[in-house]
Amino acid sequence: MSTLIIVDQPPYGTWAGREALDMVFSLAAFDQPAALLFTGAGVNWLRKQQAPDAIGQKSVEKNLSAAPMFGVEEILADTASCERFGLGPEQLVSGVTLAENLQDVMNAHSNVAFAG
Amino acid sequence: MTPLSYTLVITGAPWSSQAPQSALAFARELLVAGHRIDRVFLYGEGVLLASALATPPSDEVNWPKQWAGFLADNAIPATVCIASALRRGIIDDTEQARYELPGNNLLEPFGIAGLGEWVEGNVKSDRVIYFHGSN
Repeated sequence: MSTLIIVDQPPYGTWAGREALDMVFSLAAFDQPAALLFTGAGVNWLRKQQAPDAIGQKSVEKNLSAAPMFGVEEILADTASCERFGLGPEQLVSGVTLAENLQDVMNAHSNVAFAG
Repeated sequence: MTPLSYTLVITGAPWSSQAPQSALAFARELLVAGHRIDRVFLYGEGVLLASALATPPSDEVNWPKQWAGFLADNAIPATVCIASALRRGIIDDTEQARYELPGNNLLEPFGIAGLGEWVEGNVKSDRVIYFHGSN
């Protein structure tokens, strides 16, 4: 049984994405297979060199880079959303797999959830 | 019909979303239909449903009270995610003491715990249903 957590909220301006990340980390901590899919404005989580100091927030890049260490199996990004937000492969943080067909991605998991 | 077990996750706050109301209607119908609710889990903005201090005008429904009554009447466990709750000022007496806060406001029978209880629901319940706000 594996769970796919979908993040479709931008990294700043709402806490929903961070809380989605906590969900996926918790699954992994309890040895439950879990993966993350970023789509819509959520792909901005995967942008390199984020600098949110000016708005008094921590960079989500660091949280995200801990995902493999916590045992999160896969970090996926919706290709079409990346194109829409001008994110080429060279602008993406490492360890991200691009996904063309989101239906296939969702079908590959027994549970699919959004954080909010 | 085979009875199923459910975990309900509410992430939308009362009065800024309809999530708690929709979830309550769904929960009531589940029991009528003979299903079981393993747990209700409040996450993100949904934790505001567990405030004992919410005081809407008297001609409006008090969603925290409605939910608390439903949970108590049916002996359904309900958990508020601790990280979400602390951020948003939903505090029980333990956390009040830990952080030396001036008060607490967690509505009974809600309890504060970690995401582990959501993970457990994810593993054990036949269905996990989410009620989101509109962000």
